[in-house]
Amino acid sequence: MTAQIEIIDVQKHYGSFHALRDINLTIPKGQFVALVGPSGCGKSTLLRSIAGLESISGGTMRIAGEVVNDMPPRKRDLAMVFQSYALYPHMNVRDNLTYALRLKRIPRAERHAKADEVAKVIGLEALLDRYPRELSGGQRQRVAMGRAIIREPKAFLFDEPLSNLDAALRVKMRKEVRALHDRIGATSVYVTHDQIEAMTMADHVVVLRAGVIEQQGRPMELYDRPANRFVAGFIGSPAMNFVPAVTGTDGRSVTLEMTSNARLPMDIQIAEGRPVTAGLRPEHLEICAPDPEDGMTITVGAIERTGSSCYLFSEEAPEIIIVTDGATGVQQGERIGLRIRPERVHLFDRDSTVSLRG
Amino acid sequence: MTRLIRSLRDGIGFDTLLIILALFYLFVFAGLPLIYNVIISFQRVDVFSLGTLWHPNVGFENYERVFNDPLARRVLINTLIFTIGSVALQFTLGFAAALFFHQRFPGATWFRGLFLAGWIMPGLVVGVLWNWLLSGDFGVINHVLKSMGWIDSAIFWRSDTAWSLYAVMMANVWYGMPFNMILLSVGLAAIPDDLYEAAELDGANAWQRFWTITLPMMRSTIGAVLALGVIFTLQQFDLFAAITQGGPAGSSTVAQYWSWELSFREFDFGRGAVISVMMIVVVLFVSLIYVRSTRAETRL
Amino acid sequence: MSAAWTNRLLFVIALVLAGIYLFPLYWMYVTSLKTQSSIFAVPPEFLPGVPQWQNYALIWDVANIPRYMWNSLVIATGVTAFTLIFGAGAAYVLARYRNPWIDVTLFLVLMLQVLPPSLMVTPIFVGFASVGLLDYPRFGAILAISAKTMPFFIILCRAAFMTVPRELEEAALVDGNSRAGAFFMIVLPLARNGILVAALLIFMQGFGEYVYSASLIADNRLHPASIGMTNFLQPNVVNWNAIMAFAATYVTPIVAAFVLLQRQIVNGLTAGALK
Repeated sequence: MTAQIEIIDVQKHYGSFHALRDINLTIPKGQFVALVGPSGCGKSTLLRSIAGLESISGGTMRIAGEVVNDMPPRKRDLAMVFQSYALYPHMNVRDNLTYALRLKRIPRAERHAKADEVAKVIGLEALLDRYPRELSGGQRQRVAMGRAIIREPKAFLFDEPLSNLDAALRVKMRKEVRALHDRIGATSVYVTHDQIEAMTMADHVVVLRAGVIEQQGRPMELYDRPANRFVAGFIGSPAMNFVPAVTGTDGRSVTLEMTSNARLPMDIQIAEGRPVTAGLRPEHLEICAPDPEDGMTITVGAIERTGSSCYLFSEEAPEIIIVTDGATGVQQGERIGLRIRPERVHLFDRDSTVSLRG
Repeated sequence: MTRLIRSLRDGIGFDTLLIILALFYLFVFAGLPLIYNVIISFQRVDVFSLGTLWHPNVGFENYERVFNDPLARRVLINTLIFTIGSVALQFTLGFAAALFFHQRFPGATWFRGLFLAGWIMPGLVVGVLWNWLLSGDFGVINHVLKSMGWIDSAIFWRSDTAWSLYAVMMANVWYGMPFNMILLSVGLAAIPDDLYEAAELDGANAWQRFWTITLPMMRSTIGAVLALGVIFTLQQFDLFAAITQGGPAGSSTVAQYWSWELSFREFDFGRGAVISVMMIVVVLFVSLIYVRSTRAETRL
Repeated sequence: MSAAWTNRLLFVIALVLAGIYLFPLYWMYVTSLKTQSSIFAVPPEFLPGVPQWQNYALIWDVANIPRYMWNSLVIATGVTAFTLIFGAGAAYVLARYRNPWIDVTLFLVLMLQVLPPSLMVTPIFVGFASVGLLDYPRFGAILAISAKTMPFFIILCRAAFMTVPRELEEAALVDGNSRAGAFFMIVLPLARNGILVAALLIFMQGFGEYVYSASLIADNRLHPASIGMTNFLQPNVVNWNAIMAFAATYVTPIVAAFVLLQRQIVNGLTAGALK
């Protein structure tokens, strides 16, 4: 049955390389957690440590309350969906689905009944006698999912399972995987480098960088309250604009170090004269008439239209991206003013990059 | 104890067990003989002292006797001629064949594969076949050479001291050529077509493309093939046994055959071991070159 | 010249080259079917006359063919079994990891591959004699030959194991296999073709082996066919039709296996030989 996973102070070393550092993470029963971060951040290592495919160098890992540090994968009762799907090429779909059951010595008739049942859930009834090489990418993906579902494991582990699909299918499968989770309610750990996948699918998102958890929380929490500049830049697309700034003498405003030296009022009190980095989400910037006094003013450089929306790039450094309505009439070379609500301005300490919003 | 069993079932113990199985076997049946070889090269080992593990020590006597043997010079020269001649011819013919079959006409791969039929044959049978082909009075080779007008009277390949070594060499080139060809074909296939296309656009003709693209790109393959050629040629024994048996009068005796003859014809295992020790050093040196060039290959 | 004509020309040249190269094999079969007088005909008869099949029947008992072939079979089977049992696992481990220890082991294996049997046989013979292994000469020969074939087998097999994705084995572990279970149920079946080709090559080597058998086996009743041929050669040195019939009987199984599996053998060799 589905279970809680606790990860306490976990470390992983490869020789002198510290791959995971003080990882603390509790995944309650039935939760869908996404591990996200750039490549080499340790997200896959963490997942493989949970699976038991990598041994951890320190700390404690518990599944359903039981310490599993030295437990081999076969005893952990977890199911894993691999990036390449890892379907056994010498077995047909039915045997692939039931391989784990066969290892548990469940009688053949029962196994086959279960395979039929699961095939119905994932829509593969017609393909049970096919071999993996005869399936399309999407079908293989489903078999890999089915192989996990059939076991009713303590938890599902996903290692970038959608990254080998084309864009359209990926969006579709994203919804299907989440729907499946809602129906089964199994604890799931999902590794991805795609922050949109993490945001749209997970209950709880864990952002990793260089073996360290930078921040974890509900998706919108990470979007609204990024703990530091890295998370702020990683979550959200297009990425947040970062502009060097200094807090004003009143402590209630910041002056952006841009060509226009714009002053933005703040909704919080900050020590005066402090060097900071202001973070402005492209979708939070609103276009207004240029204010020559102390408003933000830019010259529009490149324009990218996607139809539904329009990306404007400032000509001056630091480059600012603005996402605006697709029907905007702004022209290249035009000078425009920008406006942002004070509570939407993110401020990060320039040295430590930690958010000043606490 | 439970830890060990657990590691064998689920951990690195399983890998360790598998690798130790092979390494232990190789240590007992290849490593120990290598060491023992050096030891007995300093001992007097004959039919009477065979049954014991330790034999009377004679210092460098075996070495002296080998070096002072009137045959030693002949054997050294023969080994050099046989090795260099075989490798050069195998390589040239193999490379030519590899280039020919690289033309990708229908059936090229299949024809190329046919040549391996020679390589998979037992060496001794190859030797016996060539023994018959090279027969002095009724051999086909003499007949062909005569009807081509290249020779006037039959060459007694196996019994003429001037020809016996070359008789074995001929058989060895036939035997080893396919392997050279296959390895060189693999190297040729690894060169991307667009390199040739780019060179052609740059105005290089076929000859220039061969010298400026093919050869430089094949460098590590060629190194490996030449080293393997030397190694396999130094392993060649069966052809000597089947064609000339080192004779006549030692005219076709090479080091590896002499070593065996001293041990198993004259039952002087100490002297056999001396040659064996020296030749193994040579072989290991050559294989160092081989391993290094294959390393370069895989790192590309 | 059009491409089609170039291809046709190249095809004809290939045919001629293959014909020249394979002539010794052809000559073996033709000679084996000739009469005693026609083998010494001048000029030689390149096409067989009336095939003298009785040449084969005549040597069958005279030359003790069944006994020699049986011994060759026993040695080849033993060598293949030892090589497979001791070598396959090591090949798998060497394919699975990439670290300095593996590099060193691989280096050692490559180095052992090159030792000439005719040089190794002296210490092996003396060693076997002193520990009494020469009392079981065929077994001793199998042990010695396996040490020679194993490095080559490991190199070829490793290439076969490299083609099995690591994730499949991991999936099996997560699905509930022990390491051995995953090895036997997933990895081994998937690497099967490459291993079989390698094993076949080893079998052929064992079947044709000469040096170790000739040096370690004294009893003629235990000699394989390679020694049988040399024994037969000396007293019958003018009966080339009989000798060629012996040779043909000996190599036809090997040639047949090669013709059937040519593509797989070439592929296996090219995959493993240089890596």
